Amino acid sequence: MENKFVIEVSGVNRIFSVPGGEFQALKDINTKVPCGSLAILRGRSGSGKTTLMNIIGALDDPTSGSVKIDGTEVGKLSGRERENVRRREMGFVFQAVSLIPTMNAFQNVEFSMRLAGIKAGRERDKRVEECLKLVGLGNRMQHMPAEMSGGEQQRVAIARAFAHRPKLILADEPTAELDSAMAARVTRLFHEMTRKEHVTILMTTHDVGLMDAGDMIIELESGRQVLHDQEV
Amino acid sequence: MFRIMLQKLWHKRWMNLCLLLGSILLIATVVSFPLYQSAACERMLQDEFRSDMAKQGRWPAMLSMITVSKKDRQGTAIRRMEELMAGLEGQLGIAVKETLYYYLLNAQEVHSAMNRTDMGDQSLRLGTLSGLPDHAEMLSGEMFSEKGLTEDGSIEVVVSQAGMVKLDLLVGETILFDNLKDAEGKPLKLFIKGVFAEGSGDDFYWQVDPDEMENVCLMQTDLFRRMFTGENAARYTITCRYLPLFDYESIRSDQVASLAEATRFLTEESDFRSTMDRPAYQDILENYLSKQGRIQATLLILQVPVLIMLGAFLFMISGQMYEMERNEISVIKSRGSSGGQIFRLYLYQSTFLTLTGSALGIPLGAVFSRVLGSARSFLEFEDSGSLQIVFTARTWGYAAGAMAASLCIMALPAIRHSRVTIVKLKQQKALKKKSWWEKIFLDVILLALSLYGYYSYHKNQELLAQSVLMGEPLDPLLYISSSLFIVGAGLLFLRLQPLIVQLIYLAGKRFWRPASYASFLENRKNGRKQQFIMLFLIMTISLGMYHATVARSILQNARENAEYLDGADIVIREVWPELQDENGAGTGNYLEPDVTKYIELDWAESYTRVLYDEHGYIGESKSSRQEVTVMGIHTKDFGEITWLPVGLTEKHYYEYLNELAVEKDGLLVSEAFRSRLGMKVGDTLTCYNSQGLSTTGKIVDFFEYWPGYTPTATVVNPDGTVSVGDNYLVVTHYDRLRQLWGVAPYEIWLQLKEGYDSQDVIAWIQDNDVHVRKFTDKAADVQNAVEDPLLQGTNGVLTMGFIVTILLCGVGYLIYWIMSIRSREMIFGVLRACGMHKGELFHMLMNEQIFSGLFSVFAGIGIGKLASVMFVPILQQAYAASNQVLPMKLVVNASDMMRLYGVIAGVMIVCLLVLILLLLKMNVAKALKLGEE
Repeated sequence: MENKFVIEVSGVNRIFSVPGGEFQALKDINTKVPCGSLAILRGRSGSGKTTLMNIIGALDDPTSGSVKIDGTEVGKLSGRERENVRRREMGFVFQAVSLIPTMNAFQNVEFSMRLAGIKAGRERDKRVEECLKLVGLGNRMQHMPAEMSGGEQQRVAIARAFAHRPKLILADEPTAELDSAMAARVTRLFHEMTRKEHVTILMTTHDVGLMDAGDMIIELESGRQVLHDQEV
Repeated sequence: MFRIMLQKLWHKRWMNLCLLLGSILLIATVVSFPLYQSAACERMLQDEFRSDMAKQGRWPAMLSMITVSKKDRQGTAIRRMEELMAGLEGQLGIAVKETLYYYLLNAQEVHSAMNRTDMGDQSLRLGTLSGLPDHAEMLSGEMFSEKGLTEDGSIEVVVSQAGMVKLDLLVGETILFDNLKDAEGKPLKLFIKGVFAEGSGDDFYWQVDPDEMENVCLMQTDLFRRMFTGENAARYTITCRYLPLFDYESIRSDQVASLAEATRFLTEESDFRSTMDRPAYQDILENYLSKQGRIQATLLILQVPVLIMLGAFLFMISGQMYEMERNEISVIKSRGSSGGQIFRLYLYQSTFLTLTGSALGIPLGAVFSRVLGSARSFLEFEDSGSLQIVFTARTWGYAAGAMAASLCIMALPAIRHSRVTIVKLKQQKALKKKSWWEKIFLDVILLALSLYGYYSYHKNQELLAQSVLMGEPLDPLLYISSSLFIVGAGLLFLRLQPLIVQLIYLAGKRFWRPASYASFLENRKNGRKQQFIMLFLIMTISLGMYHATVARSILQNARENAEYLDGADIVIREVWPELQDENGAGTGNYLEPDVTKYIELDWAESYTRVLYDEHGYIGESKSSRQEVTVMGIHTKDFGEITWLPVGLTEKHYYEYLNELAVEKDGLLVSEAFRSRLGMKVGDTLTCYNSQGLSTTGKIVDFFEYWPGYTPTATVVNPDGTVSVGDNYLVVTHYDRLRQLWGVAPYEIWLQLKEGYDSQDVIAWIQDNDVHVRKFTDKAADVQNAVEDPLLQGTNGVLTMGFIVTILLCGVGYLIYWIMSIRSREMIFGVLRACGMHKGELFHMLMNEQIFSGLFSVFAGIGIGKLASVMFVPILQQAYAASNQVLPMKLVVNASDMMRLYGVIAGVMIVCLLVLILLLLKMNVAKALKLGEE
């Protein structure tokens, strides 16, 4: 049975121990992201965006509260199971360029499919080509990351993130290092993908100009949720 | 500037620690070389002097001059000699322990003042020996007084025991010379004051044997000089001997050359040359000089690869550091800092490291040289403790050179790096380039060169043996060809390695798990960065293997050769008293000593009689005469006591003995009878002993080797050429020879019982007063062969080199990997975030380690084996002693190899553990710069 919500966050708190006390990075976060939507997680530096992203991405655990990904409670999974969830159900796009420098564009995309356990074959190769064409790099598949611009690299990273057909893509400030035109293009691409690939995307940004691109906005301020699941 | 430098040093402390380590090791290795070398040479020189003293029974470093002053008007002859003696220390540059003046007047008739009738006509020589009162022991009477005269004006004299007997004098007696008169013309009167003998112990003073002073009376030296020399010399004929005794223990190895030259000048060119012969110590010095040259050159050549590797290590680490700091440098540069400023910063830093390195490296060098001195075999030590470590000007020179090298290697690349701006840096980074050595085919060139060297030496092995005989050092080209081979083969492997990895990758392209896949691609892209460390690894291992084999082979060959040459544990030839006829002439017949005593000894397992006549011959006529050695043995006993290495001869050694045993008149003869004289089995051969007595027998077989037998004699001719002649040996039954030739002196070949050694034999010989003409002690000879300074030095240098390189290799390998992981932390973070487990990351790193590390280890082992098989047999020639008889063989000692592998495995495991630790500590979130809080 299909879950209506890919991400269900309920009552999440995250407290870090710092020298001389504790620091509460997240305070009682509750939110749900429906399937096939582009959700934007907004907030200033230090508002807790990335902490929440890490918890949703099963890279970090909440101090209390629970996170369900596609109906599965991540906190109850073992390390190995979580890794499998990350490999199969999720794709990641990072702020800094994060391609593997020893692999060309094609191999980078192919690699996430390998990790997700997709068997080698014509099918897989076709899918890689399809994804790269989708991000507009059909003619640069054999190029190494060092031979591409920042925007192109980020688009390869996006193609890599959805090539293995994950349910959820987590994108942490994917536009931070891009100029505004490119940023708009990347956001448009995300939007397009939610339509074409029926993937859910959670993306953080501090760029106000990109707000209208999303289906919903979650805004954080000092670890508190100030704007709740606002449908745009 | 200084503070910036210290901050910089601290910031990259691990890298700088590595640089410091490299600098320390480089300086220590370089410094240890002259230290060890002069210490070893010192020891060798002293050993030579001591063994000469033991053999000859006289002071090993002295001159002996004789001049006769014949009624010399002004006494100039004596005065000049005495001046020479006084200035000798300065002239030769050597400390004189004591100079003996031994003056003797001509023999003159004497008679007793007591009118003794029992004393016949006697003539005696009045003389003096300087220093006598300090060294002589009085047997009766007293030493002459300080004044030297009795109250009535007689000269007080002492005589030796031999003189006392021969001259038939009495202590306290006065004797008168008939014709010998003093300056005033009065005949001289002597008062016999005492009889002296050599003092107890080994007093070096006694270079003039009192037993030879049969007709000599010795008086006080100053008195003698007053009475008979100077103005008075015109009346007398005086035979003057001068014996300056040098303090050989004070001769330093670096003085030898000048001492030898000064001595040569004195004895061959100076005005005094007619008064003296070439001294015995000149041979010791010259022999030492030729050996020293050979040892020095050989050890230096052996050091070269290690020194190069040390330099390369420093270069690699400093290169890594520059690589890491490239960004900083280019940014500083682009902000307007001058290249000179940047260079100065690095220069100060390098100077600081070099100075610290030398502060630690120089003392470490002294430790190294001690370790060198205690190396018995490859990676095997035994503290002998007798090495004297002295810092000389030469040592400091070497240290300065090493410091300069260390400084240059560290600082000079800064010039290049200080020119790079950020723009150029980005451009450079974008360029992918092939290594320069790949482009010029350095690997192929090196291999070709080394193979050329291999073939030319292989063909000319005889020339090589010849140059060794003439005392030439190890041919650098020969050793270099083996090093070039190792480097060339290593580079060739590096060229092939990516292809091999690619092949493996293609073979399973579709099936590789993500981790393997990532590591293949990593290797393909960044493999070239590892070439340096891989070459290092390959060279360490292959040189280690090669050197272990060299060290073990030359040692084992020297040992086996010494064992072979001696034949049995102990060989004794007693002095056989010759029977005399009524006129006292020799009859050629001897009194056979009792040999049954040997069987009753505690230490003898068994013994056999061996007749050994080196001056036999074959052939009737003088022209066709060929000298042969005749050996008579008891086949059974001889076979039990002696041995030959298995595989040395065509048949087993015992088979030859059996063939002889069954043939009553059989002869076993050496190969030369067949190859040179065309004889064959079954031929009848007549041979003669040195007395001309003959024996005729049938040849039963030919052998190439026989216990103690040297098949060919190599002689260095005076003109420097070398000629090789055959030695002929005939072996037959002892009993038959005894029947035919009568009782002739034979040797006793002995086998020692378990737990006894030659010391027991020597003690027995001394206790029982056995007179021995020849004594061979296998254990001692083997010990001597093995303790040859060249062999010891080679073992030491090779072992030291191996330890240093494995240390460098381990550190270098670790550094490389730490750097590599650090620089890829981000990527690992991405991979982890994508869902790769730590296990997979580890798997990936393992793969990379296999491609670089394990491949290199195997390549190193393979190349080392190949180099050993190819070059060790040639290199051995250079180490062969002049008495090398047995064919050289390649000795690979399993325990050496195990030790080698053990050390390598240890280093690799440590590396792996550090890597695992690093990986476990790595925080994904931190690596990815996730989580701002």
